[in-house]
Amino acid sequence: MARRNSGDYAVVWPRSAKAVEIKPLAKRLDTIEGKTIAFLWDDLFRGDEIWPILKQELGKRFTGVSFIDHDAFGSTHGDEEHRVLGELPGKIKSMNIDAVVSGMGC
Amino acid sequence: MLRVSAIAEQAGVPTSSLCCEGFLGQAKTTSVGLGYPNLALATVPGHVDVQTSDELRSNVLGTTVEHVIRNLTGEIASVQATADPDPQDIVFEGSFEEVNRLFLENGWSDGLPIVPPTKEKIAEFLAFTDLAPDHAIGKLLPDNRMATVWNVAVNGVMAGCRPEYMPILVALVEAMADPQYGVEHSGNTPGAETLIVLNGPLIKQLGFNYEQGALRDGFQPNTSIGRFWRLYLRNVAGFLLHQNDKGTFGNTWRVVMAENEDSLARMKWPTIAADMGAADRGAPAADSAVTISRFTGGNVIVSVFGDSAEKLLPYLGNALVTHSAWEVIFTVGMATGTYRPLLVLSPLIAETIAKTMTKQDVQNWLYENARMPAHLFEKYLWGWTNLVPGKRTLNDWVRLGKIPKVFAGNDPNRLVPVVTKPEHIMIAVSGDPLRSNCYLFVHNGMLGFPTTRSVRLPKGWRMKLSEAQG
Repeated sequence: MARRNSGDYAVVWPRSAKAVEIKPLAKRLDTIEGKTIAFLWDDLFRGDEIWPILKQELGKRFTGVSFIDHDAFGSTHGDEEHRVLGELPGKIKSMNIDAVVSGMGC
Repeated sequence: MLRVSAIAEQAGVPTSSLCCEGFLGQAKTTSVGLGYPNLALATVPGHVDVQTSDELRSNVLGTTVEHVIRNLTGEIASVQATADPDPQDIVFEGSFEEVNRLFLENGWSDGLPIVPPTKEKIAEFLAFTDLAPDHAIGKLLPDNRMATVWNVAVNGVMAGCRPEYMPILVALVEAMADPQYGVEHSGNTPGAETLIVLNGPLIKQLGFNYEQGALRDGFQPNTSIGRFWRLYLRNVAGFLLHQNDKGTFGNTWRVVMAENEDSLARMKWPTIAADMGAADRGAPAADSAVTISRFTGGNVIVSVFGDSAEKLLPYLGNALVTHSAWEVIFTVGMATGTYRPLLVLSPLIAETIAKTMTKQDVQNWLYENARMPAHLFEKYLWGWTNLVPGKRTLNDWVRLGKIPKVFAGNDPNRLVPVVTKPEHIMIAVSGDPLRSNCYLFVHNGMLGFPTTRSVRLPKGWRMKLSEAQG
């Protein structure tokens, strides 16, 4: 980025360091069979239609898989957002959740 | 959506984030700011809003399912952090044109020429705050960069501000970093733009326009501080078009709106800052304060006609209802009670109303009279959008305790308010003192309530200001 010429203006960078460290993702599952998958939803963009399709298809392909629907958590967008996100780590543990599907980014 | 995934990954479980095709780019840049640049995305082809049920099903089965399985079970490549410059390093030396080209090429400018941020210019700004340059104001999503006094000064220089505006710039970034404001939503598709309202003695001390053309560029403090806001969102929060800023259309940044406090004093009406409780935040009422709120748009209310409040208010009430459409989703539903429209009255209209009414009287009158039929309100909630699922009626929302009982009833033609409390109709006074126009701003309410910060002046303010103004 830096390029030094003789000139009239010596300028600084207008941004600042990121205040977050890059972290590794969680270990992926060895299989979806027998696992518990939770769906968290922002109440937007037809997630309530997409999740049943995903559940049905995953249930057909993987034996013993179980699902926890979005209404177990509340909306992840809007005035419930901060509460729902704050409760999530505890619920992942207490509900024995193995994986999360989150939607919808549209 | 991605914040959920980041929290889940942090808690040790793999995630898959469902994302429409057009939002994959934003998702990738947002993921970086969350500390997980490789969050796993599952594509939903096209955009769900215009797909039939069969098309949606076919897209999910044909693409999304496979992505979800891959996201949860497959190996995902790790990502290394890239090194950033130290904020105080000189990153470039060159002519005015070369500096501007570099800033444009790196996305650090808004397309207009910037004033080169040299250390000498930055020092002039830092002289107008008692805070240390490395003082941390807060973290700003989505890039999750630290807002500091130093980078406030840098972007103030770039925007064409004068050094004596620095106390206002710091107050603005403090408000931006307040979780109540919710800066992380600034890149959402409605493309709202912030309006900064200024109150207090700085209006006159720094020469803000608060009369004719109050919302037009042309006065240095109004204009350059408005530009600063957008540059700061770009460079520190990280809102760049085609990346984290997904405004479908967007707005250009707004100039600062200063209230006409001479008119307010004549009427004995409180300022916006006083309405927001600025004096209760530990600052004397005489201090200056900034109030920020985002608005998707607005409209002028032209030639408001009448010699009394009784004749003028129906005109304003009609405008409030006419311009409140899908926005009422933020009265009920997605973010309950966060719809806060702003009426800007010209002093001429405000002082005619104030002959017989306080500002609170006006808010109460509008709450009681600016109403729409319940069936139309419910149509906005779920008939014409898919933003509030469940097709709950207003009666359902009342039963859930989410909104006041005034919304309940059996007659679909009953009239209901557009806000949940009278004081949610904000009223400011500015613009041409001798013209009978008004203005109404409306918005999507995902940003929490408007946020106010008092402006802290440095020691020796008067002398420093006198020297700066020559």
